[in-house]
Amino acid sequence: MKHETTKRGIGGTARSRSRGAAALFAAVALALTPFVANAQLKVVTSTTDLYDIARSVGGDRIQASHIGEGYQDPHFVEAKPSFVLKLRDADVWAFVGLDLEIGWMPLLLNGARNEKVRPGGSGYLDVSTAIPLLDVPQGKVDRSQGDVHPLGNPHYWLDPENGKRIAHLFRTRFTQLDPAGAAQYAANEKAFVDRIDAAARDWADELATVRGKPVVAWHTSWRYFAEYTGMNIVGFMEPKPGVPPSPSHLAGLIQTMKRTGAKVIIMEPFYDRKMADFVARNTGATVLILPPSVGGEKGVDDYEALMRHDISRLAEVLS
Amino acid sequence: MHPHITAAALLALAAVGLPAQQMGDTTRAGAARADSAARADSIRIVRELEALSAGASSDSSARPVARAGSSGPINPRLLPDISAVGDFVSDLTPRGSTQEDGSRFAIREIELALQAAVDPYFRGDIFLGVNDLEKISIEQAYLTATALPAGLELRAGRFLMPVGKQNTMHRHDLHTVEYPWVLQSFLGEEGLTGTGIWISRIFAPFGFYQELQAAVVDRFGENAEGVATLEPVNKKLSGLGYSVRLRNYWDLSEASNIELSASAITGKRAQPLVCGVASEPCAGDDETVAGVAARQTVIGADFTYRWRPLRQGLYESFILQAEWLRQMNEDDPEIPAELALADARYAGMRGASSGFYTFARYQLTRRLYLGARVDHLSSSRDGDGDGKLNAQSAYLEFFPSEFSKLMAMFEHTTRSGTQFDFPDLGPGRHANRILLQATFAIGPHKPHPF
Repeated sequence: MKHETTKRGIGGTARSRSRGAAALFAAVALALTPFVANAQLKVVTSTTDLYDIARSVGGDRIQASHIGEGYQDPHFVEAKPSFVLKLRDADVWAFVGLDLEIGWMPLLLNGARNEKVRPGGSGYLDVSTAIPLLDVPQGKVDRSQGDVHPLGNPHYWLDPENGKRIAHLFRTRFTQLDPAGAAQYAANEKAFVDRIDAAARDWADELATVRGKPVVAWHTSWRYFAEYTGMNIVGFMEPKPGVPPSPSHLAGLIQTMKRTGAKVIIMEPFYDRKMADFVARNTGATVLILPPSVGGEKGVDDYEALMRHDISRLAEVLS
Repeated sequence: MHPHITAAALLALAAVGLPAQQMGDTTRAGAARADSAARADSIRIVRELEALSAGASSDSSARPVARAGSSGPINPRLLPDISAVGDFVSDLTPRGSTQEDGSRFAIREIELALQAAVDPYFRGDIFLGVNDLEKISIEQAYLTATALPAGLELRAGRFLMPVGKQNTMHRHDLHTVEYPWVLQSFLGEEGLTGTGIWISRIFAPFGFYQELQAAVVDRFGENAEGVATLEPVNKKLSGLGYSVRLRNYWDLSEASNIELSASAITGKRAQPLVCGVASEPCAGDDETVAGVAARQTVIGADFTYRWRPLRQGLYESFILQAEWLRQMNEDDPEIPAELALADARYAGMRGASSGFYTFARYQLTRRLYLGARVDHLSSSRDGDGDGKLNAQSAYLEFFPSEFSKLMAMFEHTTRSGTQFDFPDLGPGRHANRILLQATFAIGPHKPHPF
């Protein structure tokens, strides 16, 4: 009896050993759970578009969140302390760059005290570095030209070709930071590219409707979209980037629209449409409010849906 | 020609021609790539390049990405960001200017800022203030350690003291022309700065943002004008200025949030002494008034509510802010023996004073804001009698762009007692003031204050 007790005490019977192993397994599994969770890369993005593409590439190996909302002007996000907490714990901070976030990003990065996401850190990811840019000013640049972006137009995600470039950049950086996930990131990127390519085949007919048609846009945010769709932007509601329309500018714009036959005014949901309605009344044009980002409108829940929605709505109005 | 020789010659030509053709493709691609880098609108060229690369490799991950527009660092000389803010004020008060120098139009200040990363461990910020009265002064200059663990941040140098809400903002960034009366009275007309060490830590044990800021500085503010002590007020460590502030922040919704904070600062300040039967100021060295170091402590709490709907955030917003401060003074500081023998008596601040302001600002249009502020100050300083100041002011703020601001202010003040006689409000209990302000910023885009 004494011997048996000792035996149990040391190694136990076969049944008790299996119970012990199960308990040990459960304990190890429980103990490892937080580490598994922590092993996910924490990715914070400045916009919902980068967020969705990051999620597509990172899959369940990353934990993604975003700062700005799709229905918000990305230039004017508020640097809330709650965002500082997000960045404090981030492994990757992916942002559009080209000074789009200049009004709030420095406060958040300085406040977060996280070396990984500061300039030069392993998680500091300026997505614009992967993009061929439009509207890079030539010659002298100053603020008499409006709220000009001296490094180029930052609204590049509205071209699906750039969406694919962004996905590739995410794959590269995620693989550097998490080499064990390389195969998964590569497969996810390929799936994303295939999905966009398939969608592009779907909307090819709609693009044919849009190509060459004159339109007016509120802000320069639709330049890349125009480059992709072939629509011809003949004027902007803003006389200069970031400067609200003036009466004299609108008078000139109305003449331009009449001359070129532009029948659509494209604008984002966060601008006041009264001015656009005024111009539309005087030209017989239609005001088309398009979401510029994922989540900018109900049902536009991912990047592919965003491009599909905007192209489809534009083609519908232009046809 | 022998068929074998012909075939061999053709093969040799092909062998030579193939690399030549490949080289030609490579050269063309290289030239196109260089061209694309030089041109701003290069999307089509880049797409062609990518198509060429895609032909060479079906793996999309191998696709090279050209970056148009710039081909090197943006700031190859590693120059700091240099910016300047101009602050122009006009005082159109009917009874005369209420400005310190009596001016009707003045450049209140030009602020020059130099900011850059120093090395991988530190960031440097220098703010110089230039105005007609003080010429040039170091407003702030501090080194920030950016590589500390555990959410810590350390600053060394001169900085705006983390006391109260508005004192942490530059004066030209305020939504009013001047600091609230309670801050001007307790912390100084231009806000309170300190030279020393500042440390802060962010944390969120309860699920919301908290930040603890503490600072130790050379001294608490400036001495009373013309007052000198026999020994420096900071001769002992207890004479240094010590401050602490706890910030708490909550998101109520995606459009609204509140911040509730508490602050305290304590230190010794030079206060004047009087001598003789007539209670004249005791003469000190070099035409100064002899003074004594007396402890002063200020505690406070502040509250800020912000509302800005995300969809219409360019056109609509609202801020409600309130701040309460209480100043407590040492009533009977120890007078040095040599001055006590000369019958020197304490004539500095005594008792306690408190005050608050409430400020609200509503956005009328994309560029126009309407604000209002209510100020109250009261004192129960022993020997001085009670004193009160009440003020109501209204503000119209217009932003032509993010980089310029025009503001008009009307203020009505009511005073009793003699303790709140700043800046020359003139005789009588009531005074109306009209101020106009224009500020402008040049240089790199700065973050929007939050």
